[in-house]
Amino acid sequence: MRKFFYFFVATACLASVAFAADSQIWGEMRIPNILSYGQEQSLKLGALFTMLQNHYFGKIFLAILVLVPLVFFVHYKVIGPKVFSHEGKKVYAFDMFNRVVHQIAAISFIVIVPTGFVIVFGDFFGGGTFVRLCKNLHGIFTIPFAIVVIPMFVMWVKDMFLHWDDIKWLMIVGGYLSKVKNPVPAGKFNAGQKTWYWLATLGGVLMIVTGAMMYFLDFKIEMLNNITGLSQIDLLRVSAILHNVVGFAVVALFFVHIYMSIFAIKGAIHSILTGYKEEEEVKILHSSWYRKLKEQGKV
Amino acid sequence: MEYARMKFYCDEARCIECDGCSIACAEAHELPVGISRRKVVTINEGIPGKEFSTSIACMHCTDAPCEQVCPVDCFYIREDGIVLHDKDKCIGCGYCLYACPFGAPQFPRDGAFGAKGAMDKCTMCAGGPLETNSKEERHLYGQNRIAEGKVPVCAAMCATKALLVGDAESISNIYRARVSARGKGANSPYGWDRAYTK
Repeated sequence: MRKFFYFFVATACLASVAFAADSQIWGEMRIPNILSYGQEQSLKLGALFTMLQNHYFGKIFLAILVLVPLVFFVHYKVIGPKVFSHEGKKVYAFDMFNRVVHQIAAISFIVIVPTGFVIVFGDFFGGGTFVRLCKNLHGIFTIPFAIVVIPMFVMWVKDMFLHWDDIKWLMIVGGYLSKVKNPVPAGKFNAGQKTWYWLATLGGVLMIVTGAMMYFLDFKIEMLNNITGLSQIDLLRVSAILHNVVGFAVVALFFVHIYMSIFAIKGAIHSILTGYKEEEEVKILHSSWYRKLKEQGKV
Repeated sequence: MEYARMKFYCDEARCIECDGCSIACAEAHELPVGISRRKVVTINEGIPGKEFSTSIACMHCTDAPCEQVCPVDCFYIREDGIVLHDKDKCIGCGYCLYACPFGAPQFPRDGAFGAKGAMDKCTMCAGGPLETNSKEERHLYGQNRIAEGKVPVCAAMCATKALLVGDAESISNIYRARVSARGKGANSPYGWDRAYTK
């Protein structure tokens, strides 16, 4: 028994030595990673990352956290929510598969976004166990999102391409600046939903990839170094910068998505829980889709 | 009173790549396998006249970039310029490593699922924020030789006295005397502003 234990310990030690010798950061790669040791042509990403993280990232996240909800608060008070009858007929919009995929992504985002803010404002929370826990949750809840992001992309992609309606929708900001219930030009998804879709899927994949690179840190994918022409440490710096910058957009539109589904359109969240949208809501907010459904005799 | 700024300096003309400094460091601080706070590297290997070896660790930069980017603010710079950090605050995010031009911060994989543990780096043998020379300080940060009035172990062990440590002025005086005696200067950068060639 003891023999096996020693064997296990020796193997573990050797494995970690091999790991250290293979390191892309602290082993042989340490020289090419150091700028002034023959890397004069480098992009100087270390200095850029230091400047951005020190002066801008935190402030921009704080601005998003305060200003986006503030704009919505004013919108809610001044223009108010759109209220549609929940007594009338309903339109079946999302099947079971759509709903499950969306729910898994939703739960992931509900954990990932706030824990991300805790990491960004880690000094406010004093670091330590709580922030470390949030950092780990931030990573763990990426797994369910990573599983559903491709099905989500595929199941909705045919409805998400640019359409003339989207231009018209953008010109009137989706009708959200007026209290009148005029039909708004939009198919099954309006221009706002389309923007969020592309950001959440393509941007989401980018967030997963950059986040995973920072999580695993010391990995070796030579192809990645060859294609980008970056050393390992510069790849990590690019990841950190992209993760923050794409994060601004994801977080801002995530807030928009929540405001729309819960506050701005009363009861809109039920459509992704039950699959049914109110007929009046579809008639006004997705008028082109409604017309199409009518031609097909589905409403 | 104006404190002196403590700095390391490795004289490339004297470094013989014996690795004594990094082994002395690992032994003195009982570092786990896979962590080396100090590393000897050889630059321009095989190019005649250009090859030199030097010993790198945390350079204890003035306005250290790691301290600027840390999201939990776990770094602190002592009055004598030694850059230290609080491992109880550190969340192991890796930002300090991205900011550091020398690759000094390291992350042991101690959590579940291979999560990065608290960052580890050279403390210039000055321990950490815990009670000086306590068991806990020694366990987390290694020896606190500075508190005992001793020279950091790497420089103390350096056989050729290539690795120097002390207040910046004394170090530069010694180095200047050496350079004027041999009429040849340095190749490698010291401090992050020069490393990033700002």
